[in-house]
Amino acid sequence: MRKSLVFGLFVLGCVLFLAALGATSHVRVSHFLAVSRDLGDITATLKLTDISFSDDARYTRNPSQADIFSAFQDYPGSIEHFPSGSVTPPPDFTSLGAAMKVRGQ
Amino acid sequence: MNETIIQTNELTKYYNKGKANEVLAVSGVSVGIRHGDFAVLKGPSGSGKTTMLSLLGCMTRPTSGSITLEGRDISHLPERFLTDIRRTTYGFIFQQFHLIQGMSVLQNVMLPLYPTDVDLPKLKKKAEGLLEGIGMMKRRDFPVQGLSGGEQQRTAIARALINDPEIVLADEPTAHLDTALSRDFMAIMKDLWEKGKTVIIASHDPIVFENEYAALVVEMRDGAVRNVTRK
Amino acid sequence: MSLNSHMNVLDFTLLSLLRRKFKNFGIVLVFTLIVFITGSILFLSYSFKREALLILKGSPELIVQRMSAGRQELIPVDRAKEISALPGVSGVEPRYWGYYYDLLVKANYTILASSGSLSAGNRLLQGRLPGPEEKGVAAVGRGVAKARFIDIGSTISLVSSAGDAMDFDVVGIFESDSELLTADLIVLGRPDVIRLFRMPPYMATDLAVTVRNETEAPVIAGKVRSRFPDTRPILRKEIIRTYDAVFGWRSGLILTLFAGALVAFIILAWDKATGLSAEEKKEIGILKAIGWETSDIIEMKFWEGLVISLSSFLLGIILAYVHVYFFGASVFAPALKGWSVIYPDFRLAPFIDPYQIAMLMALTVIPYIASTIIPSWKAAITDPDEVVRG
Ligand SMILES: Nc1ncnc2c1ncn2[C@@H]1O[C@H](COP(=O)(O)OP(=O)(O)O)[C@@H](O)[C@H]1O
Ligand SMILES: [Mg+2]
Repeated sequence: MRKSLVFGLFVLGCVLFLAALGATSHVRVSHFLAVSRDLGDITATLKLTDISFSDDARYTRNPSQADIFSAFQDYPGSIEHFPSGSVTPPPDFTSLGAAMKVRGQ
Repeated sequence: MNETIIQTNELTKYYNKGKANEVLAVSGVSVGIRHGDFAVLKGPSGSGKTTMLSLLGCMTRPTSGSITLEGRDISHLPERFLTDIRRTTYGFIFQQFHLIQGMSVLQNVMLPLYPTDVDLPKLKKKAEGLLEGIGMMKRRDFPVQGLSGGEQQRTAIARALINDPEIVLADEPTAHLDTALSRDFMAIMKDLWEKGKTVIIASHDPIVFENEYAALVVEMRDGAVRNVTRK
Repeated sequence: MSLNSHMNVLDFTLLSLLRRKFKNFGIVLVFTLIVFITGSILFLSYSFKREALLILKGSPELIVQRMSAGRQELIPVDRAKEISALPGVSGVEPRYWGYYYDLLVKANYTILASSGSLSAGNRLLQGRLPGPEEKGVAAVGRGVAKARFIDIGSTISLVSSAGDAMDFDVVGIFESDSELLTADLIVLGRPDVIRLFRMPPYMATDLAVTVRNETEAPVIAGKVRSRFPDTRPILRKEIIRTYDAVFGWRSGLILTLFAGALVAFIILAWDKATGLSAEEKKEIGILKAIGWETSDIIEMKFWEGLVISLSSFLLGIILAYVHVYFFGASVFAPALKGWSVIYPDFRLAPFIDPYQIAMLMALTVIPYIASTIIPSWKAAITDPDEVVRG
């Protein structure tokens, strides 16, 4: 078989495989969307604010909430950098119309 | 078959014109080559043979003067047409062979016609036919860098013939060969000539220009034509 | 030019690439790795943000915390009444929650007071939640259940701040589909949370405020803050923004880890882009001399760039997909999640942004093709004369 054909088939195979992945993605996303209504219900009922993503330390469990050990103690969204504090200034939330001013009150 | 196929008129070529290292490689050459000629450009090293061949073969353009190929002035054609002429009319055998390293003999022979509409299996058959004709079939799938000088040259010959050229050009073909191989080469050229091809060879090797079928011998010196003999 | 001649040139290009198998497969390998890493990060952060957005859509519009000496403090429940009197506020509810470190399994739990029951037909809870005033029962997350080997009907024992053991009957376990939200939760009745943490009476952890119109939330937050200067209101928008930042930060960390590979690749591409090797230059000359047109040579270089970059892109993106969505991003997971005892089961829904993939493709394939074509351009337009001479 000529080499250009082999390459063409390889590309076609990859594209078909990607299409198949896209199809499974569709199935799984619609499953998640179905589940997400129930997830939203849990969030609303228990008034949860955060995702159980990093349980390695208390201060990473609820990054949006201030806490004694919170990494985001002063400004939600500010990027803390061990061992000093932020390496960049926290984002400006005034665009959200937030009451809390971050830079130069 | 006595009409002229290539005619040059006051052909002149400068390298690096206008700079300190300006070289006048070919100066005012006017020669006519006929259909079915066996022509030899002879002369010492540096006399402008390669430059002449390169001009005749549409590899480079003259500084002044003109070349006509079958009555058509080709010295001012755009690049695309020159390529087309190289592909359809000429078969060039380079002094250094210039095979593509890492590819097999067969692939090298097929090379010139890849970018055309040709059917690869047909092209392959044709290439095999040419290799058969010059006794290279047993080396068909050898990578070219492993071949001997003579074998490399045969590969280069087969590659030059893949497009059925009307004109075969060869630059110093015997420079890297011993006497026996040089004679073999000339036998192949003679065979082509007998089949009606126009052969133009640049060489300062007597084996090439001292033979009965070299009808036209153009002697060059310092870029100019010294002497033209036609038998 | 017909299809056949293009295929022929492609054939030749592949032949030519196969001559330097080691080098070219090496390039494909590194290129694939780059696409794999970038693709994985794109997939991960995009899916995560989409999921976070959907999950957190139901969280309170406004949380009011009290700060004391710069630290979060319990907030008096009676402030709820005053806040709910503010125009635009439709309800204020105190939240009682905190962290509990389990010495037994060395894990952190989140203890939370129940404040109602899930809507009927919620499939993510096996059993039920404790009622707000109910005592001695608990609903736990899948991660807690796994860590403590408990099932519905078992008891879970916690040690209160006063030092006495409290036993709870497990009446509900969250399904694994909800792990990203509930893995470490223990939901108790309010009196039990107060007793477990020995919270003073009439104090709550913070207040959850619901507003009639979310666009007014910032205004209400401002009013809360001027009425109670020791509070810190947190908007839902800020929460979601936090997740964007957290994830951006974590992905940046991973990217940093692989920056070496990226730099190596850029150097490689730069090297290619800035000069042809003498050998390549000579080959281009030979091809021209034997009758290839300039456009044929450019086409060959185009194929060369395409073969390498498209193969790498396709392989890389497929590997990234499989890695992130079938293997839970196992390569990056340690950097993403950090160390912990209770890991949320990291099965993200494969949200795909075609725009992002197209961007990644454009940013990998096109520059690479350009960097193969451009340097050979000059060689391809010069007279083949030089080559004749060798
Ligand atoms: N590319 C070039 N640049 C400058 N000078 C050149 C170039 N090619 C050839 N020359 C000069 O032109 C003259 C003719 O060279 P050439 O045609 O190769 O002669 P021959 O083939 O007879 O040995 C020589 O003096 C050579 O140095
Ligand atoms: Mg010469």
